[in-house]
Amino acid sequence: MTHMLHRQGTRESLSKDYTVIILRAMGFNDKDYLPKCQEALRIARRHNPVNWGSEQKGNIFEFPAEEIIAEAKGDSMVVFDNPANLTAFLKDLKEADLGLSVTVSGLFDKVDECFEKAGLQHHTANFSLGVWGRTDLLPSKDILEVTTMCGHAMVSSNLVKAMVKEIKAGRKTPQEATKVLAPNCT
Amino acid sequence: MRIDGDICIACEACIPYCPMEAISMKDDVAVIDQEECVDCGVCQRSKVCPVDCIIFEPADWPRSIRATFSNPRTEHKATGIAGRGTEEMKTNDVTGRFKRGFVGLGVELGRPGIGTRLRDLDTVARALAKAGVKFEPKNPLTALMKDPKTGELPEDILNEKVLSAVIEALLPIEKLEDVLSALKKATQKISTVASVCVINRAELNGSYPLRKKLDELSIFYRPNGKQNAGLGRPKANV
Repeated sequence: MTHMLHRQGTRESLSKDYTVIILRAMGFNDKDYLPKCQEALRIARRHNPVNWGSEQKGNIFEFPAEEIIAEAKGDSMVVFDNPANLTAFLKDLKEADLGLSVTVSGLFDKVDECFEKAGLQHHTANFSLGVWGRTDLLPSKDILEVTTMCGHAMVSSNLVKAMVKEIKAGRKTPQEATKVLAPNCT
Repeated sequence: MRIDGDICIACEACIPYCPMEAISMKDDVAVIDQEECVDCGVCQRSKVCPVDCIIFEPADWPRSIRATFSNPRTEHKATGIAGRGTEEMKTNDVTGRFKRGFVGLGVELGRPGIGTRLRDLDTVARALAKAGVKFEPKNPLTALMKDPKTGELPEDILNEKVLSAVIEALLPIEKLEDVLSALKKATQKISTVASVCVINRAELNGSYPLRKKLDELSIFYRPNGKQNAGLGRPKANV
């Protein structure tokens, strides 16, 4: 569940949700980038991320940590549930000076504070203008709060509904339900 | 995606996994509606099938478009990037794609979770072209256009369905109001949803002129978004 831009939710839920993507720029610095990716993931592990992984390999809900690092390919993603861990990670990334691009998603004001504490400057921003068109086709806001965590829309509304039923019936804990949903996200 | 009906044990476990609700039961086996399936591979990758009877066979053109746009673990030949668009602002510190005074526009049709026919992308892309945007040349959808000046897509792909696809474009900040107005009208003609975003390079003092412009025009934007931290090297001169 590592999607960045169009995550939906209340201010309270979004204030516990920070996604970082670390990537090379195709045609600019994409040669020999993998060791840098792997180092970024090693640094991330020191700061208690709630999810992390490599785009073309998978995330920690799918594979053991060592396997992800060894077989990392493409972009690296790391998710934190608090600004303190995000700030500490950004400080270490800055110090490591890997040369890969780093983009952070989250509430603008919270991320601004983290940037300032980590000694980083704003470079470029992406603002979501929301969903246009046939919004009547969308599921409820509660469902969207979960499904929009995956930007590639790999987590179906029906699977979320099924997990809600399982939790309400006492057959699964929320944590167990998360482990059913998260592996579908890339 | 296809289910081998000779092996399927009718457990129905795969049904809720499909983002397009394309799996149903017929004659005591699970079947996938090929018209609605976008070949995203979620059903198979989830490993939910206890007898491993979900099959992906690479399709010929134009159906092959479904997997390349819908399965993010498939790289687009046009970009070398897995996913549905380019690196957009995520590598702007290195590529310099978005310069001061310009706005990047991203319109992702089908997202979140509805899916889209390429016909709807054709409708929106043509409207944006008329409004004067420049399509991103490295975007996989731009690569499919008959002419990036008109936004027109080839007839033979219009009925193909994908989980989502992104139109990426660039415009001077002065054109923002007109372009968003044209986009609003175009999205009223489509049969799906569009997640819309705009991108801006920060000024030297860290402020974003686009934020001021959006406020002036009373255009809604979410309190959360993405920010590039400028750590990429070599640094673009923008």
